[in-house]
Amino acid sequence: MFEHIISSMIFLPIIAGLILLLTPVTKNGARAMALVVSVAVLILGLKLYTGFIGAGGMEFVENYVWFPSLGINYTLGVDGISLFILMAGTVLFPSIFLIFTTKSKGYYANLLIAQGAMAGAVCAGDLMLFYIFWEVMLLPIFFMIGLFGGEGKIAATLKITLYTIAGSLLMLAAIFYLGVAFHNQFGIWSFNIVNMAALKLHGTVAVLAFVGFMLAFAIKIPLFPFHTWLPDAYTEGPAAATFVLSAIMAKIGVYAVIRFVIPIFGAEFTRYALIMAYLGVIGMMYCGFAAIAQKDFKRMLAFSSASHMGIIALGLFCMNIQALTGSLFQIVAHATSTGALFLFAGILEERMQTRKIADLGGIAGRAPVFAMFFAIAMLASVGLPGTSGFIGEFLIILGAIKYNVAIGVLAGTSLIIGVCYMLWMFQRVFFEKSNERTEKFRDLSAAEVLAFLPILVLIIVMGIYPQPFIKKIEPAARIQINTILHNMQVADANALLQGTNLEK
Amino acid sequence: MNHDFLLLLPVIIVGAGAVLLMLRAAFGKLALDSASVVCMCIFGLAFAAQACSALAGPEVPFKAAFNGMLMVTDFTRVAGLIILGCGFFTAMSSRSYFKENRFGLEEYYSLITFAAFGMLLLTMSHELMTAFISLEIMSLSIYILVGFNRRCVTCAEAVLKYLMLGAFTGGFFAMGTALIYGGLKSTKFEVIASAVATHGFLHTPALVGGAFFIIFAFLFKVAAFPFHAWVVDVYDGSSIPVTGFMATALKTAVFAIFANFLMLDPGLKGAWVTYLFYISILTMFGGNLIAIGQGSIKRMLAASGIVHTGYLLIALVAVSADRFTGSVILYYLAAYSVSTLGIFAALSYLSGAGEVRSQFEDFKGLARTRPYSAAAITIFLLSMAGIPPTAGFMGKFYVITSAIQAGQVTLAVLGIVSSILSMWYYLRLIINMYFHDAHESFESECTVFAPACTLILAVAVFAISLYPITL
Repeated sequence: MFEHIISSMIFLPIIAGLILLLTPVTKNGARAMALVVSVAVLILGLKLYTGFIGAGGMEFVENYVWFPSLGINYTLGVDGISLFILMAGTVLFPSIFLIFTTKSKGYYANLLIAQGAMAGAVCAGDLMLFYIFWEVMLLPIFFMIGLFGGEGKIAATLKITLYTIAGSLLMLAAIFYLGVAFHNQFGIWSFNIVNMAALKLHGTVAVLAFVGFMLAFAIKIPLFPFHTWLPDAYTEGPAAATFVLSAIMAKIGVYAVIRFVIPIFGAEFTRYALIMAYLGVIGMMYCGFAAIAQKDFKRMLAFSSASHMGIIALGLFCMNIQALTGSLFQIVAHATSTGALFLFAGILEERMQTRKIADLGGIAGRAPVFAMFFAIAMLASVGLPGTSGFIGEFLIILGAIKYNVAIGVLAGTSLIIGVCYMLWMFQRVFFEKSNERTEKFRDLSAAEVLAFLPILVLIIVMGIYPQPFIKKIEPAARIQINTILHNMQVADANALLQGTNLEK
Repeated sequence: MNHDFLLLLPVIIVGAGAVLLMLRAAFGKLALDSASVVCMCIFGLAFAAQACSALAGPEVPFKAAFNGMLMVTDFTRVAGLIILGCGFFTAMSSRSYFKENRFGLEEYYSLITFAAFGMLLLTMSHELMTAFISLEIMSLSIYILVGFNRRCVTCAEAVLKYLMLGAFTGGFFAMGTALIYGGLKSTKFEVIASAVATHGFLHTPALVGGAFFIIFAFLFKVAAFPFHAWVVDVYDGSSIPVTGFMATALKTAVFAIFANFLMLDPGLKGAWVTYLFYISILTMFGGNLIAIGQGSIKRMLAASGIVHTGYLLIALVAVSADRFTGSVILYYLAAYSVSTLGIFAALSYLSGAGEVRSQFEDFKGLARTRPYSAAAITIFLLSMAGIPPTAGFMGKFYVITSAIQAGQVTLAVLGIVSSILSMWYYLRLIINMYFHDAHESFESECTVFAPACTLILAVAVFAISLYPITL
């Protein structure tokens, strides 16, 4: 099992989920089984984490021929970029099974399938394999929102599904194009990511293929103006689905940009990076302002999450080592803080039967532990020094200023918006006068405290002592940056050859 | 002669079986249930014979039979396998269907077998007269099958529409054959090919006119734009297993002969490729627009069949003489047939007596009461929509990749856009089945056959996706 550690991490949950769906298990049995499986995956993940060297290349590689005639291989591996997204999912999942009880086994089965598929998408080293996991990870979310969502669940389900599928099908066309281009250039079929980097692409079709990839990822992240599915899906979805979407799935969009777009479409990426960086900043500010105006706390958190994804995306497009490392660090920081916030929101909604901020108040007096936990996650999300959120955002802003002062200043300023909506919401929900509804609020149980404690410890440890994390991220980030620099030089040289001036 | 016999063994089994079934039924010696079992046996036996000959390898000493009127290649063999498989599963689900809908007669199974006989001949025919005869054997059986329920008004409407238009198409085909014979003094494909190769396609006016009529006949049979209007009403009017059979086996047979005919010579294909390009785009989008508006599942599936015809036409456009992508067409047909037959098998026991449950709304909450059936239908729909890891996804992968390889990037992108549009109506059924509360219990007095058929096909959706082909 330890030779195939990644495969086990992917297929253990998927198979367990399918078994749950196909057999008549009781819901408590399902929950217990899900918990056991996710803890088993956590143990495998920790083993992988401790065994990870961090030299910059792929580790724990598994490679088997799958479709020899088309060069499609079953290739898996982790490097510094994928490791932390994989680990974020692995660490966070057991807590969902500890916290939530529902009336159906399907809830747990879908979560397990989502967990496995996300691990697969993050570790895939072959474009076709990646695409398969990328699509499969949407299906459980589709069923979770549709089956267990709130009032407007069907509209929300349709919106997220059609939106993401439209994006990913266009990416599929781009993948096919890459496969054929590779076959034309090298005479053999391959969909391997490392091989793909050797492709020489140019012309309109290359730009179209680049757009195909970027569109899929921009919708998943979501990058402004492709974010309109997000508020509905996050608000109407059950707490666990929102958690999975915001904490991990959105990050896979960012991850995919680093993994696929930068090495394969280096030239196109550098050419359009500035536009996309501006889109990131606009998204950050727009969703921040929208968050201030929300009356529903889950919807507010949804906009807040979108706003933070804007800054993570910005880190990618600045194309320097600080910003990229910051983005990768912030991926984990945001997964823990926003993930925790959505879980708290789920608890709040479940116990209070409302999502309106105006209906709440004075919860801090009723439930001090809950209020304290919420505050820690919130401050990390805001980016207070000493929490994980600070390190990542600081690095990104630093890189942004280095890349383009205007963008850096805009991004730095718009972080203040985050403080506005978060603290104001906290005040209205946790302080002020309690009412009939909030009088009955029950504080966290021992099991829930136990489930949240690791997340909160992680938030503080990452904020105070980030070095070990950054050390594992940086070598891989450096390789990506070198690819970009190389591409920029090539672009410069081409421009010189053609006698044109590059606008700098 | 020995080899002729071996090559034709599946056809002989099916043909003799059809006559046998008809005779036994005429003398009243066969119960309805045993007729379906006999029919399944015939298809199973022929399938085994065909599979043996297909596995024997590509090299056959004499691949032409009957003086070159029939031609057996790997392409026709696999097409035959798909047709025989479709026949088998249709017979299987019909048995359950006729438990609740009591208009079944023993001759029904004989007609299914006759239709399959015509289809098998059609895939192999390498000469226009043979093609015409087999096309008519197939069509006449299908006409009767469409109108099999004599008490049903929509059935009568369907058969009238199909018969009128189909008769015209048959006339077109015969006229095309006559013109080509007039121009080239032969109806053999080989002669046509060498004539096009030596003089060019436009050299003989009679050939141009004849090819025009013949290709229109094919386009009508596969329901391509602008000859697609009959599909929705005809599919809606016929009984569920017949619709499934028409949607899959008939399409396979006609696409096989269509590809064979177009591939005679690059000149012939080159003359048509631009038109096929636009026809396939219009077929995909026209089909999607029709499907989006439908309230009945059968009509939606009929319209989605038009869309799939569009995808197959993409593959046909991508076919070229040096790189015959017949495997792509057949793979797509197999993937499509498995999912379509699967849905129709599920519908044949879920829709109840007299097909009372036919609208999207009628299937609300199916997952609550019959979770396994709902899961199977979901698998089939996802396969049709092309979501991995199903056979439909791999089919789409091969079609789009072969189009890009042939330089048809626009067509590939439009194919993808069309499949985005098609997500809406596939998702709509899934949403109805899963995200609503059940209004009824979906009880039916069905036998085990149709559910078993559904199960086998659901497994096949994944099994086929693992089978690699060479581009």
